[in-house]
Amino acid sequence: MKWITARRRHPLAGYVVVILALALFGVGFAALAPTSDEARAQTLSAEAPSPEDVDAANGKTIFDQTCASCHNYDGSGTYDEDGNVTNGPDIREVGSASVNFQVSTGRMPSMDPENQMPRRDMVMSEQDLADLIAYYDESIRIDGAGADIPYDVPGTAPQASDFEDEDAYQAAVEEYEAEYDAYIEGADDVDMGMKLYLTNCAHCHSWSGGGGALTDGRWAPQIHESTPREIYEAMVSGPGAMPMFSDGVISPEEKQELISYVKTLQAEPDAGGIFALERVGQVAEGFIGWTIGLSLIIACAIWITAKQRAHD
Amino acid sequence: MSKTTQAPKALRGVGNYIDDRFHLAKTGEKNLRKVFPNHWSFMLGEIALYSFIILLLSGVFLTLWFKPSMMEVVYDGSYERLQGVPMSEAFASTLHINFDVRGGLLMRQIHHWAALIFVASLVVHMLRVFFTGAFRKPREINWLIGIAIFTLAMVEGLFGYSLPDDLPSGMGVRILQGVMLALPLVGSYISMFLFGGEFPGEDIITRLYMLHILLIPALLLALIVAHFMILWHQKHTQYPGQQRTDKTVVGTPMFPAFAVKAGGFFFFTFAVTAGLSAFVQINPIHLFGPFTPTSITSGLQPDWYMGFMEGSLRIFPNTLDFTIPIGDGYPIVTAVLVPGLVIPGLIFGALALWPFIEQWITGDKRARNVADRPRNAPTRTALGVAGITFYGVLWLAGSNDVLSETFSIDLYLTTYIFRVLAIAGPIVGYIITKRICLGLQRRDRETLEHGYESGIIQQLPSGEFIEVHKESSAESTHVLKEKPALTSTALEEPETDDKGVENPDARKGMGKLRRSLAHWYTKDDVSFEGVEPFRGHHTQDEGH
Ligand code: HEC
Ligand code: HEC
Ligand code: HEM
Repeated sequence: MKWITARRRHPLAGYVVVILALALFGVGFAALAPTSDEARAQTLSAEAPSPEDVDAANGKTIFDQTCASCHNYDGSGTYDEDGNVTNGPDIREVGSASVNFQVSTGRMPSMDPENQMPRRDMVMSEQDLADLIAYYDESIRIDGAGADIPYDVPGTAPQASDFEDEDAYQAAVEEYEAEYDAYIEGADDVDMGMKLYLTNCAHCHSWSGGGGALTDGRWAPQIHESTPREIYEAMVSGPGAMPMFSDGVISPEEKQELISYVKTLQAEPDAGGIFALERVGQVAEGFIGWTIGLSLIIACAIWITAKQRAHD
Repeated sequence: MSKTTQAPKALRGVGNYIDDRFHLAKTGEKNLRKVFPNHWSFMLGEIALYSFIILLLSGVFLTLWFKPSMMEVVYDGSYERLQGVPMSEAFASTLHINFDVRGGLLMRQIHHWAALIFVASLVVHMLRVFFTGAFRKPREINWLIGIAIFTLAMVEGLFGYSLPDDLPSGMGVRILQGVMLALPLVGSYISMFLFGGEFPGEDIITRLYMLHILLIPALLLALIVAHFMILWHQKHTQYPGQQRTDKTVVGTPMFPAFAVKAGGFFFFTFAVTAGLSAFVQINPIHLFGPFTPTSITSGLQPDWYMGFMEGSLRIFPNTLDFTIPIGDGYPIVTAVLVPGLVIPGLIFGALALWPFIEQWITGDKRARNVADRPRNAPTRTALGVAGITFYGVLWLAGSNDVLSETFSIDLYLTTYIFRVLAIAGPIVGYIITKRICLGLQRRDRETLEHGYESGIIQQLPSGEFIEVHKESSAESTHVLKEKPALTSTALEEPETDDKGVENPDARKGMGKLRRSLAHWYTKDDVSFEGVEPFRGHHTQDEGH
């Protein structure tokens, strides 16, 4: 502490302390500030595409090129003699909701079939996905097994690149937002949504939707970037280690309450201060309490008790 | 200031009136001239005092609106998201404090940040006392009071945390109940008694409230007052230095210098607490929502000071549970009992008993007012670090899910890592710390014999280069020279007397134990005996 002692009486000492304190706050903020533009549902909702708009032949090309190496040309998956999945599982009975979820969240085509896939940007265009799904429904899916895509739930927001001119794009965005708000505000029983979420989902995805660790190197991802439709599809398809919540278990109306609860909570401003610690909670609070709170106070104690000592 | 200014007549009159009756001037003057040591580590306890005052004041503010009732109401306050949600009055009134009371949210955050800082400052204060041996005679009672304050503070925090009846508080209360239920025989009765029936019941918040705002603060206040009165009477310990002996005290007089500093320090403590509360969100109960018994969520922890118990619960294996075969079989849930009660019992028990154990080992019955430098009590220091390591590992284990997610480590793997660390960490910590202490002792002796390395290189006529060593200041020399030798009365009594008969004390079990502990406690100490300051060769005066 000698260096403090020696310089404590310097006229600039007070400023240095204040700047250090501010720097600490700053570093703390940089470490904890929300990382990205927690982009609110950038998603497009639409009716089920009409048959004229989709091209199942293109869908077949895509499937054969990007999916068949793992899921086989007929979607029956690849298995070894003991019946264990080698590259990818049978997807003939998972339903189009599952395909839409897996591809629109960028999980499929998988990069690493051994491990859980993180969420990524979708690798194909919306049109290609629509074509792929048309092909899946027509030629791969058995007897319409599995859940259908919930087209009445808002999906991905319109992308500027899909529109010829600005006005059409703006109009689409407005329409999308109206639909989005109608869906979220159409739910009016917060209590039901909260209880459904906290009973069924929070032990994996955490109370805030921030995600959490699971066993065996798996994790429940954060669900803030998911569109309402993806949340719905995750429930009805049960991807990876997640259980399935079919419409029989949680009805479509209940799902709307649940999704509305998740999205409203996410959009809720942090009333307690500009540093919300990413809603990590007590671990982060304890960390800040020690590293900023107590440390600053102790630094002050050192400062005010320091005295000029004979150099030795 | 050549002339002393007189107080106005009216004031003087009042002053004299009081003084004639209570003789305050005399006691006042005596107390105002009490001296305080000038070292930051003596201010750590003060942080605790100031945060406690902040807690009292902000807590009283909260009581004005908080309703400790579990009666169900339908929320219709100004927080829109939860309107129409059924919840307990406790939760609804906390929302009311948050959003409808002016400054209420800030006050709640002040109360909570101050609670975190309060307990943290108790920890660092206690560590200072431990590592400098300030718990030794005559201060053992104050040490015990300190332990009691620390324990009560944890309980007080836990209960306060449970009051708003939000999601994490409900989960905390449930863990508390789980630990109670694990108690053999009496567990379920205690739980029924505290909760007034089944969990969660209708009463628990009301009861915790009474404990949180009345009983425990009163006990804390009484203990803190006792702590300070004893401190006042015994005075601080002081670090070794010139004129500092077990009989005299050096420092700044209480008034005015110290009082000004202390007052300033209070405001700084308050400023940091208020600053955090204004900018950093803590315990956002409005986001958590009310507790319902069916809710379970990951990503929630207790406040940090309960973290080590959470951690021991998480990593203690459940393979050791067993059933006593009486009647239908009586299960003993060691996986909850040991981490929930035995481990904290061990930690706090060891802390409370250490002064007496050390005294028994060394047989040191003298009053000690000069603090030890931690390196000069290597075994104690190493034990302290081992304890910190153990606590720290458990503490980290309490956040294993957050760590697992943040650093992408498998959750089960973290459990195994923490199990190994909880055992190996303290041992490694002990060994390393002891080596460091002994190394520092050797360097001290070196410095005392040869002076310190000045950084000046000289070339001798012979062409040889040497570094000039200089004598340390009188103050430093004094500190080095006065290093107390570590001894124990157990080792002073010879094993056999001059006729070759074994010392009866040393033969008995306890005597033997004490002798070997004393040996372990003192054996590696570096002796400074016979070291003459600066008689070694390369000091400057010797004319190299
Ligand atoms: C590199 C191999 C690989 C490729 C390429 C691949 N998948 Fe997969 N797919 C997998 C694996 C492995 C799983 C299982 C993932 C899990 O359980 O977490 C899977 C799962 C799925 C599922 C969910 C199955 C279920 O049971 O819910 C769907 C649907 C799916 N894939 C569709 C596709 C589509 C469509 C494509 C092409 C765009 C594709 N996959 C490309 C390996 C692959
Ligand atoms: C057992 C734990 C578990 C439960 C319970 C659970 N999930 Fe999941 N969830 C997962 C896992 C694991 C994944 C990732 C699947 C994968 O990628 O293989 C996931 C993925 C998701 C995703 C996709 C997130 C993204 O990346 O965009 C959403 C949305 C989701 N879950 C919503 C829910 C909802 C809503 C519930 C409650 C009805 C729920 N989950 C219950 C484990 C769980
Ligand atoms: C050592 C002292 C104390 C500690 C460690 C402590 C800790 C806590 C904590 C952690 C909470 C939860 C706060 C939150 O919800 O964010 C709390 C709540 C509360 N405390 Fe204290 N407290 C202390 C003393 C007091 C005192 C002295 C009073 C009153 C005289 C008091 C009154 C309250 C009230 C009314 C609440 C509930 C309101 C709320 O949660 O916002 N506390 N306390």
